[in-house]
Amino acid sequence: MRPGRLIGKTVLAFAGFMAVFPLLWTALNSLKNNVDIITRVPRLVFTPTLANISYIIGRDSVMTGLYNSVIACGVAVLIGVVLGLPAAYSVARYPNRWAGDIQFFVLSLRFLPPVAVAIPLMVIWLQLGLYDTLAALIVTYSLLTISVIMWLAIPAFQAVPKEVEEAAFVDGYGAYSVFWRIALPVAARSLTGAVAFSFVLVWNEFLIALMLSSSNAKTLPIVASELSQQGMNVPWGILNASVVLLSLPPLLFLGVLSGFLNSVFRQKKT
Amino acid sequence: MARHSSLPVTFIVPTLAILLVLSMVPTLYAIVIALQNRELSSTAYSYVWFSNFYDLFFDRRFLNAVWVSVKWEIVTVVATMAVAIGLGVLMFEVASPRLRNIYCLLFIIPVLLPRVSAAFVWKFAYHPLYGIATYPYRLLTGGLIFDPLSKPATALFAVASVDVWQWGLFFAVIVLKLLETLPPQPIEAARLDHAKRWQIHAYVTLPMLKAPLISLMFVKMIESLRSFDLIYVMTRGGPGVATETLDMYAFSQGFIESGKVSYASAMAVLMMIATVITFTMLWKRVQA
Repeated sequence: MRPGRLIGKTVLAFAGFMAVFPLLWTALNSLKNNVDIITRVPRLVFTPTLANISYIIGRDSVMTGLYNSVIACGVAVLIGVVLGLPAAYSVARYPNRWAGDIQFFVLSLRFLPPVAVAIPLMVIWLQLGLYDTLAALIVTYSLLTISVIMWLAIPAFQAVPKEVEEAAFVDGYGAYSVFWRIALPVAARSLTGAVAFSFVLVWNEFLIALMLSSSNAKTLPIVASELSQQGMNVPWGILNASVVLLSLPPLLFLGVLSGFLNSVFRQKKT
Repeated sequence: MARHSSLPVTFIVPTLAILLVLSMVPTLYAIVIALQNRELSSTAYSYVWFSNFYDLFFDRRFLNAVWVSVKWEIVTVVATMAVAIGLGVLMFEVASPRLRNIYCLLFIIPVLLPRVSAAFVWKFAYHPLYGIATYPYRLLTGGLIFDPLSKPATALFAVASVDVWQWGLFFAVIVLKLLETLPPQPIEAARLDHAKRWQIHAYVTLPMLKAPLISLMFVKMIESLRSFDLIYVMTRGGPGVATETLDMYAFSQGFIESGKVSYASAMAVLMMIATVITFTMLWKRVQA
């Protein structure tokens, strides 16, 4: 068994290396001058430069994209929280005979091919004169955030011990204050994970943003992908820097999301 | 629970109404557009009923796209599950609790990246002359050139590898967590019967996890439908049409090449019908 274990550990270590190395390499390249990137033998030792990063931060299109992404995703997540959490609580705590159908409907929204939603929406927004606006993007993303938050929040609310809520009723709390003062705070950790997940999902969204924007409402992923359309004329260091900028916000949620995963599986155990 | 409260109604009715409107309006409108002959270049249009659908069946590029999408679906789902189960079991077997936590954190990173970022990272890495992933090949062959993204035979697999990099590693974490929730007694019993490590997993633990593993596969099948960003950034459907999936072809018909919005919508409607029927049936079976 000994050599087997050694091989196993080596494979694991290699997988762990593969998981982060490509990204670290990209981050490293964002600090390089072009001569240090375009080399047949990869260079680990080089004179670092901040030129790429300051170029990216100084570019209007990138800053507009960042602003659009933050507003569109932030507002859509906020709408998802306001509409999704109460609905999830209602399904979890006051089940009726449609509860199963409602859950399936919410999940089935995820089956819809994005291209099938984006084409008609583009025509609709064009006719309403809202094409290429943040408002159109926010409304479209809300469909995503509401359904994802609802889907993940239902089990989170179900995991709140019923006795706690019943005790609150006995103490004279109304149904709404039980939701506000008991269910929300008790489930807060799992709910934060669900909300973070929905944010990462819309932040990373590409196809819908690509089809619903032409100049004003471009989000950061679109701006980043356009930098590369200019082919190899754009210095690679700049492209790498834009990839790093785009990837940072989702990575900020790494801790929250891995904690969320842990809590989901701890519930299953008990 | 308070039985006579207005809460269930006030909490769920507005949300469901909004979800229904937001999802049904585009879905129904997609069907309407598919029955017309709209183009981006003009505002005039008329109803042509099923002629878009009829044309699709004689469009060889469309048939190719169907085939590429099926291949993509199979390759990514199978490879993701294989990587996830392999690494999950390995972590369970050889990693200490502290190492497990570190690996779990590392393995979640790729899936959090925007797919556009992941696609760029690997597009650089696969560059035939300067890429870090092709460097070992250049080193071993003394400078021969290998360009995985521009060869029809390898392009699909090269793009699929990025998808597996994101999802396979993430699912490995979930497989590990699932293994950790299992009761230890059956594993102990098998060990006492002198079962080898791989036998314990092949005949005891993995069969016990059949239901959650199938659900996991179901999730991956849905997520694999969203291949557009990777393919758009890495190959644009090329070389030729080797990686042109249905959403890529619908996009290029509707927006890049000819602006045939109705034709693209007809494709999207067919995709929608196929996926909704398939996944509804699968979901009912998973639940049963």
